[in-house]
Amino acid sequence: MQPILKINLSAGETEEYQIPEKWEKDFLGGASLAARILYESLTRELDAFSPDAPLLFMMGPMTGTSGPTTGRFVICGKGPATGLWAESNIGGFWGPELRAAGYDGLWITGKASEPVYLWLNGSRLEVRSAAHLWGQNTYTTQDKVKEEVGEKSARVCVIGQAGEKQVMFASIMCDHGRMAGRTGMGAVMGAKNLKAIAVRGTNPIPVFDLAKYKPLRSESNRRLRDDNEAKILREVGTGGVANYAEYLGAMPVKYYTHGSFENVDGVSGAKMTETILVGRSACQGCVIACGRVVKLGDKAKRKGPEHETMVGFGANLLNDNLETIVDLGELCDRFGMDTISASNTIGLAFHLYEKGLININDTGGIKLKWGDMDAVEQLVRLIGSREGIGDILAQGSRMFGAHFGAEEEAVQVNGLEVAYHDPRGVSGMALSYATSPRGACHNQSDYFFVDWGHTQERIGIEFFSRHAQAEKAANVAKHQDWRTIFNAMVMCIFANVEPDIQVQLINAACGLEWTIEDMMRAGERAWNLKRAINNRMGLTRANDKLPKALLEPFPDGGSAGFVPELEGILSAYYEARGWDKETGRPSREKLVELGLGDVAQDLWG
Amino acid sequence: MTGIFPSEEWLKGLEIKLNSDERYGQIAKNWEGDLFFFIEPDGNLKEQLTFYLDLWHGKCRKVVFKPQPEAYPNPTFTLSATYKNIASVLSGNLNPMTAMMTSKLKVKGSMGYMMRNVPTVLDFVRCAQEVTKEIL
Repeated sequence: MQPILKINLSAGETEEYQIPEKWEKDFLGGASLAARILYESLTRELDAFSPDAPLLFMMGPMTGTSGPTTGRFVICGKGPATGLWAESNIGGFWGPELRAAGYDGLWITGKASEPVYLWLNGSRLEVRSAAHLWGQNTYTTQDKVKEEVGEKSARVCVIGQAGEKQVMFASIMCDHGRMAGRTGMGAVMGAKNLKAIAVRGTNPIPVFDLAKYKPLRSESNRRLRDDNEAKILREVGTGGVANYAEYLGAMPVKYYTHGSFENVDGVSGAKMTETILVGRSACQGCVIACGRVVKLGDKAKRKGPEHETMVGFGANLLNDNLETIVDLGELCDRFGMDTISASNTIGLAFHLYEKGLININDTGGIKLKWGDMDAVEQLVRLIGSREGIGDILAQGSRMFGAHFGAEEEAVQVNGLEVAYHDPRGVSGMALSYATSPRGACHNQSDYFFVDWGHTQERIGIEFFSRHAQAEKAANVAKHQDWRTIFNAMVMCIFANVEPDIQVQLINAACGLEWTIEDMMRAGERAWNLKRAINNRMGLTRANDKLPKALLEPFPDGGSAGFVPELEGILSAYYEARGWDKETGRPSREKLVELGLGDVAQDLWG
Repeated sequence: MTGIFPSEEWLKGLEIKLNSDERYGQIAKNWEGDLFFFIEPDGNLKEQLTFYLDLWHGKCRKVVFKPQPEAYPNPTFTLSATYKNIASVLSGNLNPMTAMMTSKLKVKGSMGYMMRNVPTVLDFVRCAQEVTKEIL
């Protein structure tokens, strides 16, 4: 791979870091390689907002190669809300541009003495003042930075006011609303006084064996274009699954207390397509184009919401008005905050208000009545500015709940808010949320797809009933290993690429001669490494849990009465993983078997 | 009426089932669209087979065994699969959503409409399974 550019903002120094060849072979790139690189520096004592905290923008070996959905990269560090391993995947065009500038990563440490932005033009780096941009939203900042660098083709990663003010779920944006939403990497960037990173590159993007890669790329993109799932995503976006998810009782309603939402069709991808959709957008080289472009009353073209935003500001808050969801999604994007964590934490506020655990004095005079989207908008603005109750909401749902003596009501795992695929409707998500290395994440293993029927026979990911319990634990572990490869390459999880082709792409891109088994082993290796990082930072089996709400049955909908039996599922999972049931650590034998002998030494002595 | 798949008797049996099954009638009450199936040769099926079904508001208005594609140039959905995969769905060995999501069943038509009406699709498959006595 190309070198990583290390930038120390405190010292104003840079250095090119060459990734050890063995690590490239063992971890490929993206989040997996980032975990290996950051392993030593992520300690329990490290404050995620301190100058010492790393922020690593990491590419994959296929980023920018126009392979199947390979325009992506990942941003890694320590999560401020979780205190654990953090990774946040993002599309757009910035990653390919960085590779074309000659780098496969930017490793930021230190803290600038005043707000700055970086302008990397090829190998030439400038640190520029961002004092005049501090306080500006993401879109405005992008436009101004592009204008100032005088390069139309430059790509810009930015934070908004939420990142500046270290909202725990602040995001990083590039291009037209592409977000690294989860785990608060925008807050870490803000803590470094780093407002934006503009990049321009003109070099060809390296591929180990381009002659071998090209026909594989063409064939996999051709197949992907004709794939049923890809057609759904292109035609109706990720929100196209709304009706089906609701039918199954897998869409949480009214802050995870109900499993049925009568007006789901009004806030579905199908409805958006019929009413306000005017176009589609895609990340670099992507043949799916799941991004939505919509027009509202002002006739301006804007980003349309994806599934998580639609449920978070829709069914979660008993809102069936699609246009308000578009507005709130855009408002979050402008402030630079994750829509899942924002809508989840706001949902908690409504829930506690209804239960009488907070009142109008706490909210600064705002009545929290379900479905009142003006109240929701006020809360989003207060979070972005960290004013009033927004200052408490900005700490995320765990801290918000704890502030009012109701931490157990918060629907989060280890400080990261649960996404909108409910394990009572798709039981595999119980393990996905409980054991994800970054808190309750639906992308480390989007197992809901498997529970809907999307199997992968070639790698042994079979179909189990969507309400199966411990019997599917090993299946979930396999799925996690496989998705870890996606996050290493870095590919979008919407790319329905068969494992046989995937491994051929990897071999051509990286100069390897792997089998599918080798590929899956690399996924397992990185999953265990991230687990070990978290163990070193204090994570134990006690952290592998689900919030109270997800262990109470829905009273209605297609999954009424069902709850996942987490303890039994976890025991089966530990068995399948080869993890120690007492401590929650990967066993010494497992680590050694995966070639992580040094990690075994750290964990077990 | 039950039947052996694939046969004209089986298809007629499915028509009768769809028009008499209360549950299907209720779930599919808003469905508007005809289906053209291509079943590709595989295993015991030696040449391509076609079916046509016109489904409307919970009823089946028409079925045609071995129609020519030119006779129905613009069906709402065109579905194609190998004989083995169709047989697996009918025998309950292949989840219909798995067939769709893994593209073992290829779908041409409005995917938005399909996703909005998954319950109808699943209940259509249930009816088809229930009239299948034997698979060749």
